[in-house]
Amino acid sequence: MGLFAAIRRVGRIAEPAPPRPESSAAPTLVRGSLQLRHVDAGSCNGCEIELGGCFSPVYDAERYGARLVASPRHADGLLVTGVVTRNMAQALRDTVEATPQPRVVIAVGDCARNCGEFAGGYGVLGPVSDVVAVDAEVPGCQPTPTEIIHVLRQVTGR
Amino acid sequence: MSGPVLAAVLAAVTVLACLAVLAAPSRALPSVAGAGAGVVGAVGVVYGVAAISGGLAPVSVGWLVPLAGLRLAADATSGLFMVVTGAVGVVVGIYTAGYAAHGHMGRTPLSVLPLFLACMLGVPLADSVTTFLFLWELMALSSLLLVLAEARRREVRDAGVWCAAMTHLGFVAVLVGLVVFAAAAGAEGFPELSASAASLSPATRSAVFLLTVAGFGSKAGLVPLHAWLPRAHPEAPGPVSALMSAAMVNLGIYGILRVDVTLLGPGPRWWGLALLAAGAVTAVYGVLQAAVATDLKRLLAYSTSENMGLICVALGTAMLLTASGIPAVAAVAMTAALVHLVGHAAFKSLGFLAAGAVAAATGLRDLDAFGGLAPRMPTTTAAFGIAALGASGLPLGCGFVGEWLLLQSLVHALPAGGTMVALVMPLTVGVVALTTGLGTAAMVKAFGVGFLARPRSAEAERASEVGRAMAVGMGLAALACGVLAVAPAVLAPALSRVLPELPAGAGTPQPRLGALLRLPGVGGSMSPALLALGVAAGVLLAFGATQWRARRRPAPRTAELWACGGGALTARMQYTATSFAEPLQRVFDGVLRPDVELAVTHYSQAPYLVAKVTYRSRLRDTVETSLYTPVIRAVAAAARIARRAHMGSIHAYLAYGAAGLIVALLVAR
Ligand code: SF4
Repeated sequence: MGLFAAIRRVGRIAEPAPPRPESSAAPTLVRGSLQLRHVDAGSCNGCEIELGGCFSPVYDAERYGARLVASPRHADGLLVTGVVTRNMAQALRDTVEATPQPRVVIAVGDCARNCGEFAGGYGVLGPVSDVVAVDAEVPGCQPTPTEIIHVLRQVTGR
Repeated sequence: MSGPVLAAVLAAVTVLACLAVLAAPSRALPSVAGAGAGVVGAVGVVYGVAAISGGLAPVSVGWLVPLAGLRLAADATSGLFMVVTGAVGVVVGIYTAGYAAHGHMGRTPLSVLPLFLACMLGVPLADSVTTFLFLWELMALSSLLLVLAEARRREVRDAGVWCAAMTHLGFVAVLVGLVVFAAAAGAEGFPELSASAASLSPATRSAVFLLTVAGFGSKAGLVPLHAWLPRAHPEAPGPVSALMSAAMVNLGIYGILRVDVTLLGPGPRWWGLALLAAGAVTAVYGVLQAAVATDLKRLLAYSTSENMGLICVALGTAMLLTASGIPAVAAVAMTAALVHLVGHAAFKSLGFLAAGAVAAATGLRDLDAFGGLAPRMPTTTAAFGIAALGASGLPLGCGFVGEWLLLQSLVHALPAGGTMVALVMPLTVGVVALTTGLGTAAMVKAFGVGFLARPRSAEAERASEVGRAMAVGMGLAALACGVLAVAPAVLAPALSRVLPELPAGAGTPQPRLGALLRLPGVGGSMSPALLALGVAAGVLLAFGATQWRARRRPAPRTAELWACGGGALTARMQYTATSFAEPLQRVFDGVLRPDVELAVTHYSQAPYLVAKVTYRSRLRDTVETSLYTPVIRAVAAAARIARRAHMGSIHAYLAYGAAGLIVALLVAR
């Protein structure tokens, strides 16, 4: 079966876009196109799976202007998942420092917001906002792709 | 000045230079040696220019060379090679004055240097078989002495053995070929040989062709006779490598051009095809080895092999097209060969001089241990950059014009040449394109990994810029590169006299190398000068635009370099020459056959945890291992058998002598 035949057979599988959410109040400078670098500060990888879902053909976050890139040097913003563990704290600070301004830092998942499941763990330093300034948050353990995209759309304004 | 006077001056200057080096006080030795080589080179340039202008009377000294006397004559072709050799000699002479001060070359090699240079200047002058062979052998011997300059090191001695063996095998091939030629023609002067070449039987002509191409090809580093070149050229001291790689290999091409193209030729079509095929294999194999080499000088030596291959491709194309009756395009191919030869001499001498400067400053040749030389040795870095640009065959480099001409001749030969040409030319275009692409990768590696970023060893960290004499030598070579790249028109007067002497260029309109390169009868034109102007304008424009934009940018801030969150960047995170070439090594696995060992050790208590990973990969010359090793083994076995006859008893030896005498008497009667 050729590639084009496969494309025709599968067809369009992206879910219809929900109505556009209100723009968030926080960052205003990165509008329309948002290049994101993902940092795993100490997550259980549940959030990662959901993030993977966001950029899959079904949820297709790229149609709202959000896109994953391979280096903070290329990014406008960071997606931080998980609690900040002691080993990742400095790396997280360095990554934020390496992202050009203006930038947004989005904490994804309950762990990133308030340590969630792992609060009080021996290797846990604290939530993301203890280490770097956070501009937007996605609640939920784990947050569904729809919830993550909702916040991303608030940032991109699309 | 007339021919005899110039020849006498060259001989006298050489002898004086050698004696002066032998007699000079130790403190003045470097300057005297440099001056000696430089003056010999300068005389060579003057002689060459006089030869190109024409009208030099032949020289004949009956008592000088045994058997037949010395016979010299200079036409424009000889003149071109002499100018190139002489110019390299001048640059190397100036450079040597600085290089020898580091104590890398003793008195003996320094005193051989002028002799070597004079022999290389003499070979194109030779006008008879005896004279040619005599000077050829003298050149080979003096080059051997120079290769062995640092004979205390084992690798140098190894290289010396390879160099001696291969050079002499090549010499035997040339000797037999020329002797057969002279015997069949009944004379040994080149003019007489030329006159009677057409009356030889085709079998004799082809035998002479094959023997001489093999002999000259081994000097020029054609695969599979190249094995000595990447060993000997890197082991020689910097200035000697430059002389060997930029001047001596040219004489292999000169031999092919003089004996096979001019005296014997124009030959049947398969001669051209054979030369083209040998050149194509050499070009691809050479550039592939260069791309994966980690030793800077070895990389440059393989690149020499590659460029000689390209020149042979051009020569073969010219022969093939002459035989196929497309003289206009053949003239373009011949021009390509000559232009590329001159360009190669310029960028390769510069490359080896820069590599020698790095070696003198750091004691290093291994690219993996380089890095960070740009801020420490800016002049050398700039020099190597210019050489690398030339070697990669890109516009603004001095290898570009030759390669462009070669491609033009290959592309435009198509419609007129019949099936054979139509089959061969597109394949050759592919070969040239692949060679240029890989050559660029090799040079990006040599320059980027070697000179930029951070130092990867303490020696590189401590490097400091070389002295003035070496810088001036490199500067002159860089200047030559620049002029050849932007204004190849400087070669036009010489080429307009050389081409009519060659079968490919006689009687057809020649390519015109003006400010605009025009190829009559082919319909291609290009202007390196305009190209350079365009690039310069583009750079200026980009610079201006960024300056203008900079006013609207936020203020810069200082931050740590990004190291993937892993702390500070270290030199160990950089590309090394090995890692840069690794993908290429994988792609060409079948040709390169790397010898890779990967050993993973696990913890005995926890088999899932890895305690240690060792990776070792070694690249050898495939042709060498698969072709030479069996031959060497067979020779060694034969020698072991022959050794049984040498039992050390004087009685046996006397008996051998008596038996030999009896056999000789019986056979000779
Ligand atoms: S929020 Fe839930 S899913 Fe995400 S990292 Fe924490 S525990 Fe895992």
